[in-house]
Amino acid sequence: MKNPIHASDLSRTFGDLVAVDGISLSVEKGEVFGFLGPNGAGKSTAVRMLTTLLKPTSGQAWVAGHNVENEAGAVRERIGVALQDAAIDPLMTGNELLRLQSVLHGIPKREARIRCGELLERVGLKIAGDRRVGTYSGGMRRRLDLALSLVHEPEVLFLDEPTTGLDPTSRLALWEEVRKLNQEIGTTVFLTTQYLEEADQLAQRIAIIDEGKIVREGSPSSLKAQVGAPTLRVDVWEKDFTAAKATMAQFGEERPARKGRIAIGLAAGTRGITVVLKALEDEAIEVQHVELDEPSLDDVFADATGRRLEGGEKTG
Amino acid sequence: MRTRNFIPQTLQLSHRSILGMIRQPQSWAPSLFFPVLLAAVYSSQFCKAVNLPEFPYSDISFLDFILPACVIQGVLFGSTNSATDLAGDIQNSFMDRLLSSPVSRPSILVARLASAFVYGLVQAVILITIFYIFGANLTGGVPSALALMFITSYLAMAVGSFLLAMALKTGSQEVVNSLFPLMFVFIFISSAFFPVELMDGWYGAIAKWNPLTWVIDWTRAITVEGFSWSNLVKAVGVVSLIATAGISMATRQLKKRIAALS
Repeated sequence: MKNPIHASDLSRTFGDLVAVDGISLSVEKGEVFGFLGPNGAGKSTAVRMLTTLLKPTSGQAWVAGHNVENEAGAVRERIGVALQDAAIDPLMTGNELLRLQSVLHGIPKREARIRCGELLERVGLKIAGDRRVGTYSGGMRRRLDLALSLVHEPEVLFLDEPTTGLDPTSRLALWEEVRKLNQEIGTTVFLTTQYLEEADQLAQRIAIIDEGKIVREGSPSSLKAQVGAPTLRVDVWEKDFTAAKATMAQFGEERPARKGRIAIGLAAGTRGITVVLKALEDEAIEVQHVELDEPSLDDVFADATGRRLEGGEKTG
Repeated sequence: MRTRNFIPQTLQLSHRSILGMIRQPQSWAPSLFFPVLLAAVYSSQFCKAVNLPEFPYSDISFLDFILPACVIQGVLFGSTNSATDLAGDIQNSFMDRLLSSPVSRPSILVARLASAFVYGLVQAVILITIFYIFGANLTGGVPSALALMFITSYLAMAVGSFLLAMALKTGSQEVVNSLFPLMFVFIFISSAFFPVELMDGWYGAIAKWNPLTWVIDWTRAITVEGFSWSNLVKAVGVVSLIATAGISMATRQLKKRIAALS
């Protein structure tokens, strides 16, 4: 059980509702693992089980080397948790909350004072540290929440939808912070999100969860590759159209395109684009416009569930 | 590790709880204002009640008579604050933050009880000072005043423990706040503002067996007749029984809440 997070056939039911249905996953040390799914898919229930806030109905899970049921205390000492609601007391200041969190983790006073200052600096709240949290913006609260979860230098950090409700600037700032944490300190991060871009940007590996089950798992690029080849679209002069079509047909099957445009599924993947363009040049075909459209994680989600994550419509 | 950290964690959580109360004047101001207002109204309206033949004390003012009851009323109203804040912690998921940390579980409850006690003590000191300024007389002097402060703040903690149990059971600030009128009923159907000797029928019967009546009567004996260890022990004994019941209930609810997550 060397991996910081390991779950085996983990399930949780609430009466007749199966919130999490036998998920198994393993997160490697120093990895940012994205848990992607729509609202109500079971992401938060899974996080609550992994962070000892909820007992599994069946299955087993180990976090930071300890069983979440039998060694919950040991797990709590080793994890940092920033839950979905950014549970922060608005009546306290950022500094006071960090000190409280330090005491909860048994950090000596002097050490805590230094670490709290460093963390406030790190998340850009040094100046606001003595202001009551009630006066903070949503982004500031999330950053403080992140700092709180890092006070005891956890081995594993759980971030449950950390950017939900944030404006784009605050979202980018938080992403940058998570990236730095992972790259500079090597913290293992378990990140749940309903945002495709967030998972794509941050996670080295992703599990897509839907209706309590993991429906796909892998790196973002491998998941996209599983869906199909990227689409290459090329515009050429009308006189070259037939020749260009014949040339491009050697590199992948034709895909629907508007009039005057040729589209193929690049069988060799994104790297194949240079070969196609070279072939067109060799035929003396002048290219007017090129577009390469990679499958998105939404395509991956749609392929796995028949639904779109963004928009939620049923695909054909 | 958790046992070793119990005291610092409890102190820190109590500190947070008290800071939270201080920073919400809208929650504590009424519990200071209303007892003073009621005392002013009652002591003017019923000032001649002390002359009734069945009135248990002679040569005291009506304000002297209702002093302990007014202080108790104030601290009991204030005792809802700690429970309301705990329910707020549950509602806004702060409780989850605590539970996902290695915090000693009992310290969550002990900190709230401690803050209810401290808050009750501060209220008692303020109210006794105000009543003293307005002419209330404490026959036993400083020892009586200290006994009154201790009994009332201990009672605030004891009654607060029932409210904490409700907060843990429901996780709802609205439910905790809705218990506020119940506090009125308990205080008014007791010897708080009139001696039981002057009551009749079912009202008198309930008042006679209301534990608050016993606490108020023994506390009143300390403030009107002078300090007495036996009255202090009796009043503290009743409050201890209330506290034992309340804390047991709150502990059970805390365990249930943690187990409900299971």
